[in-house]
Amino acid sequence: MTTQSLPARTDAPARTEPEKPARGGRRLLRERAGRTHHAGPLAYILLVIMAVLSIFPLYWTMVAASTDNTRVSQTPPPFLPGPNLFSNLARAWDEAAMGKAMINSTIVAGVIALSTVFFATLAGFAFAKLRFKGRNVLLMLVIGTMMVPPQLGVVPLFMMMSELGWSQQLPAVIFPTLVSAVGVFFMRQYLSEALPDELVEAGRVDGAHSLRIFWSIVLPVARPAMAVIFMITFVHAWNDFFWPFVVLDMTNPTVPVALTQLSAGYVRDQSLIMAGALLGTLPLLAMFIVFGRQIVSGIMAGAVKG
Amino acid sequence: MGTLGSMRRKAVATAAAVGALSLVVGCGGDGDSVTGGSKDGDKVTITMGLFGVMGIKETGLLEEYEKNNPGVTIKAEIAGDEQTYYTALQTKLAAGKGLKDIQGIEIGRAKEITETRADMFADFAKVEGTDHFLPWKQSQITTKDGKVLGLGTDIGPMAVCYRKDYFEKAGLPTDREEVGKLWAGDWKKYVEVGRTFKKDFKGGDVSYTDSASGLFNAMVYGYPEQYYNEQGDLIYDKNPAVKEAWQLASDAAEEDLTAKLRQFQPGWDPGLSNGTFATAVCPAWMLSHISEKAGEVNKGKWDVARAPKGANWGGSFLGVIEDSPVKEEAQKLVAWLTAPEQQARIFKDLGNIPSSQKALEDPSVKAVKNDYFSGAPLGEIFGAAAQEIPDKQVLGRKDGTIKDTFSQGLALVEQGTPRDEAWKTTSERIQKAVG
Amino acid sequence: MATSTTKALAGEEPPGPSRAGDGKETSRRRGAWLHRLDVKGAPYAFVAPFFVVFAAFSFYPLVYTSWISLHDVELATLDIMEWVAFDNYVELWGDSRFWNALQNTITIGIISTVPQLLMALGIAHLLNYRMRASLFFRVASLVPYATSVGAAALVFTMIFERDFGMINWGLGLVGVDPVNWEADKWPAQVAISTIVIWRWTGYNALLYLAAMQAIPADRYEAASLDGASRWQQFRHVTVPGIRSTIVFTIVLSTIGATQLFGEPLIFGQGPNGVTGGANNQYQTLGLLLYEEGWKNYQMGRSATVAWAMFMLLVLAFVAQRLIKRLRSRTS
Repeated sequence: MTTQSLPARTDAPARTEPEKPARGGRRLLRERAGRTHHAGPLAYILLVIMAVLSIFPLYWTMVAASTDNTRVSQTPPPFLPGPNLFSNLARAWDEAAMGKAMINSTIVAGVIALSTVFFATLAGFAFAKLRFKGRNVLLMLVIGTMMVPPQLGVVPLFMMMSELGWSQQLPAVIFPTLVSAVGVFFMRQYLSEALPDELVEAGRVDGAHSLRIFWSIVLPVARPAMAVIFMITFVHAWNDFFWPFVVLDMTNPTVPVALTQLSAGYVRDQSLIMAGALLGTLPLLAMFIVFGRQIVSGIMAGAVKG
Repeated sequence: MGTLGSMRRKAVATAAAVGALSLVVGCGGDGDSVTGGSKDGDKVTITMGLFGVMGIKETGLLEEYEKNNPGVTIKAEIAGDEQTYYTALQTKLAAGKGLKDIQGIEIGRAKEITETRADMFADFAKVEGTDHFLPWKQSQITTKDGKVLGLGTDIGPMAVCYRKDYFEKAGLPTDREEVGKLWAGDWKKYVEVGRTFKKDFKGGDVSYTDSASGLFNAMVYGYPEQYYNEQGDLIYDKNPAVKEAWQLASDAAEEDLTAKLRQFQPGWDPGLSNGTFATAVCPAWMLSHISEKAGEVNKGKWDVARAPKGANWGGSFLGVIEDSPVKEEAQKLVAWLTAPEQQARIFKDLGNIPSSQKALEDPSVKAVKNDYFSGAPLGEIFGAAAQEIPDKQVLGRKDGTIKDTFSQGLALVEQGTPRDEAWKTTSERIQKAVG
Repeated sequence: MATSTTKALAGEEPPGPSRAGDGKETSRRRGAWLHRLDVKGAPYAFVAPFFVVFAAFSFYPLVYTSWISLHDVELATLDIMEWVAFDNYVELWGDSRFWNALQNTITIGIISTVPQLLMALGIAHLLNYRMRASLFFRVASLVPYATSVGAAALVFTMIFERDFGMINWGLGLVGVDPVNWEADKWPAQVAISTIVIWRWTGYNALLYLAAMQAIPADRYEAASLDGASRWQQFRHVTVPGIRSTIVFTIVLSTIGATQLFGEPLIFGQGPNGVTGGANNQYQTLGLLLYEEGWKNYQMGRSATVAWAMFMLLVLAFVAQRLIKRLRSRTS
């Protein structure tokens, strides 16, 4: 929608990283985007406030997981960790049989996130930069699929999976979410701004076919958006509860399904439940750290060089 | 264009992803059998689907059964939340696939199961050694034509939990016998005691009881017919028992005798730990919650007295799927798990009151006392309360929903809505939920 | 719309270096044919996976949903469906709960979405600075999205609890009477919006950040040469530079707000969560769908709510398009 402003900088000299070889359209990619300013003290203060507010519930999960059932419900509740963190974590790991659940969730969320990122980039590129009949209609259709509330599909989907013989199997959880309309739409919006038309054009002039253009021109540009889609899809798939609960069982669960075992009993052991919740969140944090690095400008240049 | 190296790396990554996918697909198993159990010569595997509160796995009974019956392997799954469990169970019943050999059934679902899914469950009528239950318990899981779809686990007879120290500060008796006598036979007297409490209590901001809905539930559950009659018609708006309970609970709400809380809802736990109310109408299974949430500091301050009238709140059943390949073995296991000895053991370990008449009469059950509640003889109190529960308990398909809707209606009264208006709102909502 | 460039892309014959160097006529023609196939066919091949998976796993449930909305059917007895034609729709139209839920959905949607996107924009802008510990801040901003529903529920009930909650405690310190966050309508809607904002701001901020990274540095340099302040650069370079992504988040938030049900469910917990408060004071359309389907087990009526929500969104987008067209015509 706003691609018209891009051609203006075709001839701009590469300023930010002059040591990189400048050649053809790729010169555009090496432009370090945005980050011309250093953060001032005010920026740090605001971000620290943001970080504290964001992390507090997780911190409190840790506090609750480190004490015992009675202390959690006291008023005021404790704000410093108690002594039982590791014993509660170990107990939660055993009682919820987390080993298998972790492996399953990693497979499920990993496959879904990889496939979503790949297909979203592919389709997002087509919608943003290629011209074909019915493009706008198809795009509206993609957006339309987001408007359908997902909860209702559970019953017919379960019957379908039983017919396929997939109930209690991971494919039942993986297949329906291999693609995501959110991903496609986001990538389309992102690429229509981030990917200069001349780059694709230059590729065509070089005689590259569409797939090659996709591999060597689109992918490097799309990298920050791909990292974001990967992160949010992975989290979503990891935390998805209702459908996996219906279609899987405890012999082959994902993490949230396995965690339901911890809340059994007339008295819910709050610290055990929180220890489980913490266990379930830790892999996500690790994943964030790995993929958070990808959302850095300058990566694109490296990718092209590599 | 990217160098060959980077392209190859990407290609390899893609191939790996595709490979992982096909691997996952490849391990798809058979979806043909109805349940998860299997029989292979002498080796029998029985699967169980349970929800939070049945106490079967926690007490080690399954291991014991496996030890005594070589070749039997039991795989039990416990879901925390009954609502989610039941939704999944219904989906699987509708599909006729993915079930466990043994499925837990909560009392609120018993009517729906007997009315709509009787053909999916095996009949226990002819299974031996299953005639020791309270008569009303088994009638709840029996269809009109006499098919018994499951066996009872626990029940929920009611008592009143109260704070001795607060009663003392209000000049009321503290001994559980005397407290019981204050309101014996009539819930109106219970509210009357509340008025005295409110007038005479010195010592801070303490309400007489936690919630109007707790009182309402206890009253309604004390009648054979509640929201439905035996023909299955909705009678909540005509039933004098419901009307009476509504009026009395509204009295308590309007006269500010309640802490405006709702049991098991946010705010109730901190209310317990801070001691903001002096009494709570409590089914047996609520006691462990109270002791956990009120905490060590309040140990010995709580006590348990008989409720004005017998009533039942909660309890469950175990059913077996008709088409299970291990139907007989599963029924045998259920019969053993619900036998008097096992029920007595669950009570002693966890406090779930047996639904077995025989277990209730067991001297070792009667002798159970609880330190947290000032040494109250729980076996005796709840055993006696169990005997007072009306011999007939008519269930309805939407009992749970209607109960929740009434609780919300009473919450409106507690917040100041006139009771007639609140009744009207409640009635409209029930019509919509049921219709 | 980038029509001028896409025309170029759809490409007349490329004069590019022919790789069939030996110049055989057939292979050149085959190359041209392949090229045309590539240009015409590749876009469809690229978008096909999405539609294939959607058709395989979502289309049937969708049809089933619309079919079921024309019936009176309960989850327990899915095999017994009573045909009622459009009765469910007529009934929903006359149901005060529907209009109440619609109103709540709109008000909560506005209270939660507007501050959320503005804050996300601000945070993304800050994260786009050169700074220390930038990875930490990026990860931190996404933590709420990853926090389990159970943990979030526990924390927020603790914060908003009437008698012993932190906020009322804080209000008490400055002499304000305690607020009944759950039972009163507007406090409840504000509290729920707070949870929504908390959960989704970082998510949107990261989307914005990714888009900001693609803005070329020379635009900022040109702006600063023109003497633009940081604020002016933000307004005139950053915001226009990520306009498409902002459109995306607005569309997504509108859809999300219409389907909102997780946060009010968390906030109420138990029966109050499902009905959106004792007086339906914070019941959204998403919650109404959930209540009908997974509490009352009335699948037909639940499906009807789903379709009503879908129609509403379609209406909203059509209306938005019309307004846009009218405005561009008048200007």
